[in-house]
Amino acid sequence: MKSVAGKVIFAALSVLYPALVFCGLVFWDISPRRLSLLLIGLAFVLFFNTTQGRRNAVGGAGTVQGNGAATAGGEGAVQGNGTATAGGEGAANSLKDYALVVLMLACGGVSFFADSLLFLEFYPVLVSLSLLVFFGISLWKKPSFAFRMACLGDRRLQASPERAFVERYCDRVTLAWCLFFVFNAVVASFTVFVGDEKIWSLYNGLISYILIGIFFAVEFMVRKMMQKKMHSYIPVCELQRDSRPAGMVVCFDGSSVRTWADFTDDVSKVRRYLEERENAPWILHCEDSYYFMVGLLAMLQGGRKALVTANRQEAFIKEIQKPGYGFLTDEPFAGATLIQDVLQNTESDGRWNTFDKDSAPMVMYTSGTTGEPKMVPKMFCQFENELFELVKVFGDDWVNRKVYSTVNHHHIYGLLFTVLLPTATGLPYRRHRIDYPSELASIAGEAAVIASSPAYLKRLAADAEGPIAFKTTPIIYSSGGPLPEEVARKCEGVTGYWTTEIYGSTETGGIAYRQSKNGPIWTPFEVCKMSIGENDCLNVKSSYILEPEGFTTGDLVEIYDDGRFLLKGRADSIVKIEEKRISLPEVENRLKQTGLVQDVRVVPMVGKRQYLAAAIVLNADGVARFKDQPKLEINNFFKAHLNQFLENTVTPKKWRYLEELPQDTQGKIKMRDIQALFGLPESKNFRILKMHKEPGALSLKLVFPADSDFYDGHFPAFKLLPAVAQVDMVALLAHALLETPRAVQKIQRTKFSYPVLPDAVTNLEMTFKADTNKVLFTYTNEAGRMLSTGTLVMQAET
Amino acid sequence: MSDLNQKIKEVIIKALELEDITPADIVDDAPLFGEGENSLGLDSIDALELGIAIKENFGVSFSTVNEETKKHFASVNALAAYISANSPS
Repeated sequence: MKSVAGKVIFAALSVLYPALVFCGLVFWDISPRRLSLLLIGLAFVLFFNTTQGRRNAVGGAGTVQGNGAATAGGEGAVQGNGTATAGGEGAANSLKDYALVVLMLACGGVSFFADSLLFLEFYPVLVSLSLLVFFGISLWKKPSFAFRMACLGDRRLQASPERAFVERYCDRVTLAWCLFFVFNAVVASFTVFVGDEKIWSLYNGLISYILIGIFFAVEFMVRKMMQKKMHSYIPVCELQRDSRPAGMVVCFDGSSVRTWADFTDDVSKVRRYLEERENAPWILHCEDSYYFMVGLLAMLQGGRKALVTANRQEAFIKEIQKPGYGFLTDEPFAGATLIQDVLQNTESDGRWNTFDKDSAPMVMYTSGTTGEPKMVPKMFCQFENELFELVKVFGDDWVNRKVYSTVNHHHIYGLLFTVLLPTATGLPYRRHRIDYPSELASIAGEAAVIASSPAYLKRLAADAEGPIAFKTTPIIYSSGGPLPEEVARKCEGVTGYWTTEIYGSTETGGIAYRQSKNGPIWTPFEVCKMSIGENDCLNVKSSYILEPEGFTTGDLVEIYDDGRFLLKGRADSIVKIEEKRISLPEVENRLKQTGLVQDVRVVPMVGKRQYLAAAIVLNADGVARFKDQPKLEINNFFKAHLNQFLENTVTPKKWRYLEELPQDTQGKIKMRDIQALFGLPESKNFRILKMHKEPGALSLKLVFPADSDFYDGHFPAFKLLPAVAQVDMVALLAHALLETPRAVQKIQRTKFSYPVLPDAVTNLEMTFKADTNKVLFTYTNEAGRMLSTGTLVMQAET
Repeated sequence: MSDLNQKIKEVIIKALELEDITPADIVDDAPLFGEGENSLGLDSIDALELGIAIKENFGVSFSTVNEETKKHFASVNALAAYISANSPS
């Protein structure tokens, strides 16, 4: 390694050069001619180093190092930049080095023969300029020099999700160096032209070094500040017990917090409990995000398969709980293990370990757009790979924020955004969901990331009275269904942020994102490879989809050359009505064209014949326009509009005008629920305004008009809905919408406290327990006062 | 005559499971089919259904679908006239 000695000599000489010249002139009184030999000597050393580097490059090994050192030496020559040890691009660098050699030789030669200092003194200018060119080029042809250095310092950086963040910072540092070189070259040439050797020596031999020192010190401090800002991402499976400071806040709820020490303790408690039991897979349902995360991590670390379910209806749990399965939850449930009890009664053994993400199985359940619950097996590496991608794309924005949620963490989007991401990045999260739009104002003082959904944002857009004065503009995500542009715009008015929408599914994880201020086109995550699969549907391959052939969604798509894409509705949205093909979104869009419709779903129905039915939510203009008009008139208006474009076979035959489309608590609108709604024939006796449906639970907003048959024969002067009608309505609605048996066997524990009045908005809540065949119901008025309640035991169907 | 019209309207509503429409909403001489102003807006599938319902309720059948039968389906009045003329009793 002869080149090493050469490099050391070159570096030492070049660093000391201006100082030597300074000393030679001022103290030792050496002639410029002799001093010029120093520069010529330097040129030779550089020449040999460079040729050595070339040879190494040809030889293969040590390429980067050889060139790197040569470059670094060059930099050291003027800047004394001892830390520069990075590599550059071989050929270009060598060329630069040769050019430098020639220039140095020329300057040295001229100085020697003329015995003049002038050209000798140009050396620092020369080096400054050549470094300017080198740094400038690296800025233009990425990666920048400072980033290459950073990568050498920490090799994991290249593949880290924080790469983009660091790279941006390094680019700025490189640019700052460029500006410094310009400054230095200008001042150095000025000192040459002033003609006073002392000034030249003072600046180039001393001041320049001090400036460089200051530059380094400032950059070091700025870097420390930036590092503090950087979230410390650690994959969940690689978290160690001491990965975070013991006092770090993991989650909060009001003023109470749980720290990292609490968390690691709690995980090892639950884990110990699990390991002391035979049960293999565990069903996991905890409303509290903290308990959920404790339970999940304990299962993952303890090698227990976790079945994560949002649905804790008895009937559903019974269905999925095979013999030997455990059930861990935070709400009392017959036969289940209550996590609070485990935490209270188990001693922590302090155990904690990383786990293999490739052999940590989980199960999730999806409701799907059709409404049939479906089991989706997962491996933890899928979440881990997606987290990596999410941190890469969004991580910068989350720095120093708290995580809030309006969605359920038992579904994939909530799981990733509201518990796993905060855990992987060390951001504190709130233990309980934000349920009501009005609650948002209470966090206006916090820097927040809010994982939300169209259901919540729609309500926020409708209910907010004005902008919320956030101290820091929140970052809001939405997933689970498309967010209408109009809602996104209104939410921007309220929160100051254009919601970032995530498109994905339980099977695929996140696929793409968009902000609708930039149009309806989706930008895929870098790792997602899009293609058109079966039935013109979107096929996705990514690092978090295990099947090599990828997953084909049910969404029709148009993919552009740059990889971005436009969704064009669901494939199952094309139906045949009596042999005529019709796209449901087309009918929906035609209805929206009237400008009177806020939201609409058209569903295919099969009765005696096939036909379409439309569930419409009128917007303010629509409500005003059709005020006091009979329903038939409204139907006819929309029919006449559609008849301009569609055959009347495919115009909807049945219509419902609602305040909100039927949905579940996730805001998912399911075709099956809307079809169930149309399965109830329109009646003059009652009107449904809203419907929220979960498996086994139903919540309706109803009106019983004054001209309903129910009031016949009952005090005409003071009409009220008879008890028998109330019970009958429950039975009718439960049968149609919750698929209970139709006949009532007996009525239990009924209580009719206040009258249900005509034309008054009345809420009806009911739950159905399949194992006992019981329907529990409660009528309340708009103010929330309980009007009546009771239990119907349905006639078991044989 | 108007009794028959009323009955026909009830049969139409029941057989075709029409919603939001009462017999009073159907105009006697307004077209039943097509997309016109006062039309009931029935389609070709409804025509088949209605043919069967009329046979069941009034004992009058339509042998083939041609221009002639289409005329009988033009309005409630036209149907009433056809039923009166062809009624077995």
